[in-house]
Amino acid sequence: MPQLNPEFFVSQLFWLAVFFTFLFVFLWRVSLPRIATVLEKRQNKIDENLSSAKELQEQAMEIEKKINDQINKAKLETDEKIKETINSLQENVSSQLSSLDKDLEKKVSDAEKEILKSKDDQMKNINNEIVNITKLTVGKITDIELSDNELDKVIETHKGNFN
Amino acid sequence: MAAKDSPLKQFEIDPISNIELGGYNISFTNSSFAMLITVLVITLFLTLTVSTRSIIPSRMQLISELMYNFIAQLLSDTVGDNGKRYFPFVFSLFMFVLIGNMVGMIPYQFTFTSHIIVTFALAAVVFIGVTILGFINHGIKFFTFFYIPGVPFYMHPLLIPIEVISYLSRPISLSVRLFANMLAGHTLLKVFAGFVVSMPFFTGVFPLAFIVALTGLEILIAFLQAYVFAILTCLYINDAYHLH
Repeated sequence: MPQLNPEFFVSQLFWLAVFFTFLFVFLWRVSLPRIATVLEKRQNKIDENLSSAKELQEQAMEIEKKINDQINKAKLETDEKIKETINSLQENVSSQLSSLDKDLEKKVSDAEKEILKSKDDQMKNINNEIVNITKLTVGKITDIELSDNELDKVIETHKGNFN
Repeated sequence: MAAKDSPLKQFEIDPISNIELGGYNISFTNSSFAMLITVLVITLFLTLTVSTRSIIPSRMQLISELMYNFIAQLLSDTVGDNGKRYFPFVFSLFMFVLIGNMVGMIPYQFTFTSHIIVTFALAAVVFIGVTILGFINHGIKFFTFFYIPGVPFYMHPLLIPIEVISYLSRPISLSVRLFANMLAGHTLLKVFAGFVVSMPFFTGVFPLAFIVALTGLEILIAFLQAYVFAILTCLYINDAYHLH
């Protein structure tokens, strides 16, 4: 078995020591720190991105909250406005209705007055006519000239008895 | 010396250039060459793939990062926060054994992890380092490592020697495990390769198919043994921190 031949033991140990020491020092001082920096850099980048993503998410949530607030505010304002408008419209309508009522009442009362006045006038005319007719009739039938005053008195006394 | 067509011939060391230093033969051999190739592959791969240091890695850079994270995870799982400072060592050990095994899987390439002296040296470094670490961390109290609490007192005369022996056999088990796996796998491959040539007509196809399957298994074992070597090192480091 060549492994147990001590002829090359020293040579094997010597070159093993040389190469392994070189490998160890080289990896320790050159290769591994390089890989470590790359991994660290990547981890930092990932952490950075994660934290910025978190920040952005928070910002987005804040903005969303603001938007919701604004929407709520706008809704409330709109409701208020609608209410106000309805109220003012109602007031307007009722005031217009009341003024219209007043107008109508006035017109009705005016018309009533007119009607009364014209009724009076008509009654007067009728009286006059009655007086005239009575005068004429009495004159034709009896030849008695009656004065207007007498006739008026007679008519006044008999008014209503002819129906 | 093994015979010319022996399955063990592949483990023979051939000097490439004869060097002598202070009376010792430190010839640069095919084994040393395999170590050189291994170290070059590891250093060049880990350096070139990460040379751009890009945040979004290329595929090759990703492989380096995966290896880094694999061992870092292994250390933090077994040792915890104390393990970070041993990361370069465990990583070097893992890569050296892994790529050494993989280089050995290339046909006609030498497998230096199939030599007990190499694996034993690596295991001895781990063992001595961990023992020194234990004494640094706990001083003389480190010997309580062999004392198992919560056991009836009359069991201690039996258990303490067992614990001591099991502790002292750590470098042996660690090195022999890797060495034996590599030795057995490569020998088996070579034996079946011999069948391919020696069997009559086309029946050599069957051992050839077996070799193909076995090569896949050997690649798995190459990784597995490197992993086992690394994880046991981690566990030993952990023992040096937390006695029981």
